[in-house]
Amino acid sequence: MTGAAAIETVGLTKRYGAVTAVDDLSFRVREGSVTGFLGPNGAGKTTTLRMVLGLARPTAGDATIEGRHYVELAEPARTVGANLEIAGAHPGRSGREHLRALAAMAGLPRSRVEEVLRLVELEGAAGRRAGKYSLGMRQRLGLAATLLGDPRVLVLDEPANGLDPQGIRWLRDFLRGMAGEGRTVLVSSHVLAEVAQTVDDVVVIHRGRLVEQGPVARLTAGAGVLVRTPRPAELRAALEGEGLHATEAVAGELVVETPDTARVGEIAFAAGIPLHELSPRATSLEEAFLALTSDAPAGGRALAAPEAP
Amino acid sequence: MRRLVAGELIKVRTTRTALGFGLAAVLLVLAGVLISILAGDPSTADDKRTALSFGSGVSTVLLLFGAVGATGEFRHRTLAPAVLIAPDRVRLFLARVAAYALTALLFAAFMLLVAFVVGIPLLSGRAGPGLTGGDYAEVAVGGVLATVLAAALGVAFGTLVRNQVGAVVGILVWITILESLIGLVSSDVVDELPGVLMGRVGQGGDDQMALAPATLLLLGWTVAFCVVAALLDRRRDVE
Repeated sequence: MTGAAAIETVGLTKRYGAVTAVDDLSFRVREGSVTGFLGPNGAGKTTTLRMVLGLARPTAGDATIEGRHYVELAEPARTVGANLEIAGAHPGRSGREHLRALAAMAGLPRSRVEEVLRLVELEGAAGRRAGKYSLGMRQRLGLAATLLGDPRVLVLDEPANGLDPQGIRWLRDFLRGMAGEGRTVLVSSHVLAEVAQTVDDVVVIHRGRLVEQGPVARLTAGAGVLVRTPRPAELRAALEGEGLHATEAVAGELVVETPDTARVGEIAFAAGIPLHELSPRATSLEEAFLALTSDAPAGGRALAAPEAP
Repeated sequence: MRRLVAGELIKVRTTRTALGFGLAAVLLVLAGVLISILAGDPSTADDKRTALSFGSGVSTVLLLFGAVGATGEFRHRTLAPAVLIAPDRVRLFLARVAAYALTALLFAAFMLLVAFVVGIPLLSGRAGPGLTGGDYAEVAVGGVLATVLAAALGVAFGTLVRNQVGAVVGILVWITILESLIGLVSSDVVDELPGVLMGRVGQGGDDQMALAPATLLLLGWTVAFCVVAALLDRRRDVE
């Protein structure tokens, strides 16, 4: 991934006895990007985020935000806003008082509490005890706490957990809004539909190890070339003669295992075979994710072009 | 540091925990004064001092108040949001200790008021020697010190133990059983343990140990627990 790194981990490792939760994990989150931090349940996402945020000590490796360890940030609340599943609110305290306590700790005015309550559309319930909140309201309260310091970097751990479809739509709009303001957002999820339409880049981990990182467009591309032709058998033979493998999923429709659309077109043209359609076949993020995490290679690969010096 | 203490104070005053413990402490003091004077018939100066000694009886309540507050941070997962704002765990812990100590100071002011406003008129006209200004001062200062140090010690103990039920049970076992058992083995040793010291400081000192050395010993225990809790807490991951 190119661009300055808002968040960077190098060889990050966390072991609990014999169990390795995060294993030699290195990735970068570009400044101003929305990055999906993806992996199945138990992949090590939350543990990684806890290490990035200074809530857990790495067994080995390093994690920095804007080039500094979290504990070294002079004004953490103004630099990073984080909403983790392990960050709760006392059930006997109102949402407003929860935020006021955090605002006081961060040296922020009380008026900022009302602003973030409006931003997450929780003003009506702010006086109620957090213990009476629905899961969606608790997520909004967590996001409000995240935004208190108007931070440049947002780290959100499974923010859509337990949200209903309206809540997920609200979250998507919220993330788009944050990205539109130029903030860096790292959002973890195991449900791809939540983030597929929002993220620029993805970091995919499985069993604590990196399996992919790069622009989401690269992850969803490269699933082959789709060709529709009235003479599929002849085209298939021509393609195989050029060393390309093609399968006929539907009558008259071939999927060629290559990302090179132009080459497929040239082979068809040379063989005099008419084409009715020639297009790159994109896969969904979910398909790509499942493919990556069902049989993940160790070590991972970068999807992006070489990083800028 | 002032910001952190302000935030911790908001946390203390915005749940029912502080109100519950504060009310319980004041009611215990009121009951203790009334029972001591009306049913106990105090006739010596020591009896009268004991009747007004609000700090000795409620120090365990304040110890529990601090421990419940500190363990609540772990139980309700409110530690992580605070650590994200204040990554220096030692400063955060010290701010919490300060917030609970300040709250305990407020409780102590109410308890002192109740004990003296109710107790002094009831004691006046009783047989035997009256209390001097020095007696009143020792009872007041000792009560305030015992209350404040007990709350701080409770926060340190709660931070060490983390589990709320474990901390409450641990304190009750420590105060009611362990120190009694140690007392059976050695009365010299038990005199210097926190539970006994809280009682002694709370009544402004006694024949065996004056207020000042008892306070210093209790302060030593509090500081020792705070140092161990802060160092251990700094090394732990936030779960």
